[in-house]
Amino acid sequence: MRLLVLLLGCSVLGSQAADPAKILRVTFQAAETGFDPVKVSDYYSGTIIEAIFDPLLTYDYLARPAKLVPNVTESLPAISDGGKTYLLRIRKGLYFADDPVFKGVKRELIARDYAYSIKRFLDPRNRSPYAFLFEGKIAGLDELAAQARKSGRFDYDAVVAGLETPDRHTLRIRLKERDLNFGHVLAFTLVGAVAREAIEAYGDEAASHPVGSGPFRLKRYTRSSKIVLEANPGYRERIWQGKRVPMIGGVEVSIMEETQSRWLAFQKGETDIEYQLSEVAPSFMTEEGGLRPEFARRGIRLDRSVDPEITYLYFNMQERIGGQPNPVGGLGKERIALRRAIAMAYKVDDEIRIIRKGQAIRAHFPIPPGVAGHDARYRSGVPYDPPAANALLERFGYRKGRDGYRGLPNGEPLVIRYSSTPSERDRQFDELMKRSLDSIGVRLEIHKDRFPELIKLENQCRLMMRASAWIADYPDGDNFMQLLYGPNTGQSNNACYQSPEYDRRYEKSRRLPDGAERNRLYREMARLMEAHTVWLLLDSRYRNVLLQPHVQGFTKHPVLHAEWLYIDLTK
Amino acid sequence: MTAYVARRLWQFFPTLLGVVLLVFCLFNWVGGDPAYMLAGKISNPEQIENIRRQLGVDQPYAIQLWIFIKQIASGDFGASWSTNERVSDIFVTRLGPSLTVLVPLLVISTLLAMAAAMLVAYVRGSLTDRAIMIGCTVGQSVSILVYILVFQYVLAYQLGWFPVQGWGAGFAENLLRYSALPIIVGVAVSLAPDIRLYRSFFLDEINQDYVRTARAKGLSEHRVMWVHVLRNAAIPIVTNVMIQVPGLLAGAFLIERFFSIPGIGREVILAVERSDFPVIKAVTVYVALATMILNLAADLLYRVLDPRVQLK
Repeated sequence: MRLLVLLLGCSVLGSQAADPAKILRVTFQAAETGFDPVKVSDYYSGTIIEAIFDPLLTYDYLARPAKLVPNVTESLPAISDGGKTYLLRIRKGLYFADDPVFKGVKRELIARDYAYSIKRFLDPRNRSPYAFLFEGKIAGLDELAAQARKSGRFDYDAVVAGLETPDRHTLRIRLKERDLNFGHVLAFTLVGAVAREAIEAYGDEAASHPVGSGPFRLKRYTRSSKIVLEANPGYRERIWQGKRVPMIGGVEVSIMEETQSRWLAFQKGETDIEYQLSEVAPSFMTEEGGLRPEFARRGIRLDRSVDPEITYLYFNMQERIGGQPNPVGGLGKERIALRRAIAMAYKVDDEIRIIRKGQAIRAHFPIPPGVAGHDARYRSGVPYDPPAANALLERFGYRKGRDGYRGLPNGEPLVIRYSSTPSERDRQFDELMKRSLDSIGVRLEIHKDRFPELIKLENQCRLMMRASAWIADYPDGDNFMQLLYGPNTGQSNNACYQSPEYDRRYEKSRRLPDGAERNRLYREMARLMEAHTVWLLLDSRYRNVLLQPHVQGFTKHPVLHAEWLYIDLTK
Repeated sequence: MTAYVARRLWQFFPTLLGVVLLVFCLFNWVGGDPAYMLAGKISNPEQIENIRRQLGVDQPYAIQLWIFIKQIASGDFGASWSTNERVSDIFVTRLGPSLTVLVPLLVISTLLAMAAAMLVAYVRGSLTDRAIMIGCTVGQSVSILVYILVFQYVLAYQLGWFPVQGWGAGFAENLLRYSALPIIVGVAVSLAPDIRLYRSFFLDEINQDYVRTARAKGLSEHRVMWVHVLRNAAIPIVTNVMIQVPGLLAGAFLIERFFSIPGIGREVILAVERSDFPVIKAVTVYVALATMILNLAADLLYRVLDPRVQLK
């Protein structure tokens, strides 16, 4: 009887709809670009898309490291054929949010919507920044994209062998190669289902008329200023810890570029959650990383986590840059010694203390915390040790001249060219780099250029040295280890590193699921990278989220950003 | 008069051509390749070429320039490269918020500055004059950023008289609630230089013979200042206000960013950050056109204010 009462209670609780009076107010520090999932690459647009659209899979909100769970499917995909075939059964009775494009008829979410949505990533007209998620992966899809490039029209009705929909609710994906971690791609925020009729009806305006089946829908939108979401009344009955979600009636997102505006608005109670206040972190945080007592007394809470990202300093590994010899390139011993010495002279702790204002942790492993494959016990084998770095350079023939700077072993001048943007933040990095290289008598030349030009030169392997960052697209180690894979040179392998030993291990790791064997390979790859000193791993930044006392249920997920689904407001 | 206007309109073309060439060269010289901004984290050369082809930046410079000129002629600058929003829509939707702040700002600051300038010019050399001039020199030396930070902190956060930032859906709400503090900041920033400038205009007039004659005729000081002096001093003031308008429209980006006002200035900064050339092109051309048109309008106003002025 008690069980019956409990179940009834749960049922009543579970059936409660979102409270329209509960409006969560948050901010973005940069403007969105639009809400067409295949056309965006920025965090802000992606967060809104996450709230409006439904990917096939998602992540457990609380599990760390992130754990895949079904979203619109009945279960996790049935993987067969050694990891080449994924079978997904979509739950029946899920619907897109009502929209005039459906002419008053409830529009069910079906397998064909996902096949269509995946195809859109490779339509050349969409010039999707995330096309790489599916390129070279799904049988028949690249061929269709190649045809579209020739004809100028992507044939969405063409049969693609790797995207089958045997019935309304079943999607069978056939991959060209084994990939046991493809589930992460299917859980990626931007791989949510769009309705073909909505995309075609809104055309170029689809980016401002998102029609999804997710927990929220767009209510009001002033570009680059305000995005108002309301709970989707047709959202499926989804229970989280005994309550139907979403619990709040809507989200009001204000674009506030300036830190002072966001900080004052939060303190004044004009916003409920503040995600990005790293510049003023010392104002509300103690040196130990806690919240200052005056804020704690007001009931304000701090949610602190490490972003799933790494920042690193890379060396161009090519022997020559634009026809000229590259002093830091190649795998010769004296070149490795020079790279090692530079890495040993750079004080990462100073970077964290001075530039990051203490809001970062030292990165030792190429895969950051919260991401499958991260090894918390791994320690970098490249210590900060300028005397040892100087001794190393002496040993390999980099002798100091009368001006105090070293030359190459063959007596020619040695100049290291470090590239950065003209931003204030990068100037701080320039100074630290100059100080570091001065400590080992290596002359530094700073090359300044705009960000797009640096990326262009980087893709052409024409930069000698630069600091870079990578944040997880999905919480799997592969997303990070691919950064050093030889064939990715000219794309994501910005060090242009070509190592058969590394590549062999990487290719093997791709065929393995997350587990001990793959982790062993990752450790070997990390040591190899260190032995060749391709990168100097720098840090992973903290994300400090401030919460007003009435915000309940928030916890920062490594890759889900629209935590609004699980949040309640107690005011 | 008609011949004068026609000649001035004709002069628009070479001026605009100069602006077009300048912005085109600057963008292509220092703007960076937009394809790499749009390509995302992982892209291959084929994707980069596809983007360049779609944006038209793979075309020879002469063709790109010709397309630019045709866009000016048709008034259609296409769509934003980063958001795909029509450039015309960007201007239509952002102009309202900008004007909601700038029109009252300009009116209030001009009236206040004129009144204050006339007062200090009238009591030239007195303690009041010196005190206000010192205050103006100090005020003018302070960056607009300081005004914004201090006013936002004190008036909005500490005293709670205004919201820290924001923008609503209705005109009245935006004007009375959200624009009030930005207008106060804008007025505070412009008062100091305007008072100093307008004071010099008034002083020029106060020392004229016609003022001495008016006084000799027994006219009241009130009438001398508010009718005779003001009317003549208004001519350079009108010029100054007219010249300020286009610059303010695009140049109020700091106020718009700090107070989250979805106006033109904020959009310009976004476009520059994103290397969004269609928007940059349109802003430059529109600001150049507005400057030329308002200069012409100021010249025509001279004639209204002072019938002795001949436009030749």
